[in-house]
Amino acid sequence: MDFNSSLRIAATGLQAQTARMRVIAENIANADSAGKAPGDEPYRRRIPTFQTVFDNEVGGRVVEVGRMAYDMSDFTSRYEPGHPAADATGYVQYPNVNTLIETVDMREAQRSYEANLNVVTVTRQMLGRTLDILRG
Amino acid sequence: MGLMDMPVFSALTDKMRWHQTRQGLLAENVANAETPGYRGRDLKQFDSGTMSAFSSASLSTSATQPMHFSVSSGVGGFDAQRMANFEITPEGNGITLEEEMMKVTTNMMDYQAATSLYQKSVRILRVALGKNA
Repeated sequence: MDFNSSLRIAATGLQAQTARMRVIAENIANADSAGKAPGDEPYRRRIPTFQTVFDNEVGGRVVEVGRMAYDMSDFTSRYEPGHPAADATGYVQYPNVNTLIETVDMREAQRSYEANLNVVTVTRQMLGRTLDILRG
Repeated sequence: MGLMDMPVFSALTDKMRWHQTRQGLLAENVANAETPGYRGRDLKQFDSGTMSAFSSASLSTSATQPMHFSVSSGVGGFDAQRMANFEITPEGNGITLEEEMMKVTTNMMDYQAATSLYQKSVRILRVALGKNA
């Protein structure tokens, strides 16, 4: 396993965390997306999944973003009789997105991204030292 | 006699390859830090036996007759002990990002030490050859 494969493994980590950030952004953006009419399903929270895959080309175990799963937990409902999507009792179904959880997830993705970036930086430094040998 | 036939250079090259392999494994660990069911891996400690081998390596006398005693120190040529590949040890599935970062930094520093030693050895060689280093 050479330095190039280290860099490529770290790059898959960066990609995976970027994809995760995108899903988190979707969730947060749609935190208030209720349906248009009574009975419509509001936005359902999505969860990114990661899986370890052995990449023959790289020669290492890289991370890949798997299926985007749906969070099947219950929707929240709020009493808003004036809302176009309110049912007969005046309740509106809202997405099962908890902004707090999404924020924490976002931080985690950020930290993980930074860690992978750090690996890239360190590997590049090591690569630079190898080339320094040529200078004698 | 090539450069790689000298124990110092082959030992340092081995060490550098070890750090290179380890860097790849640490990159795997960091990239997969949040994959469920992933088991982190690390390399076994670099065998210091091979490192000390060249310091204790001594010249052995050649036996021209079967009655001659052998006075070799028991340590054969260093090249015989060069590792073709390194052994990988699994170590639990919980990966701590901080720990991995520390390992990555330590790995880099040790690698830099090895490359510096390599450069110094080359410089010594140049001095021995009478070139201004």
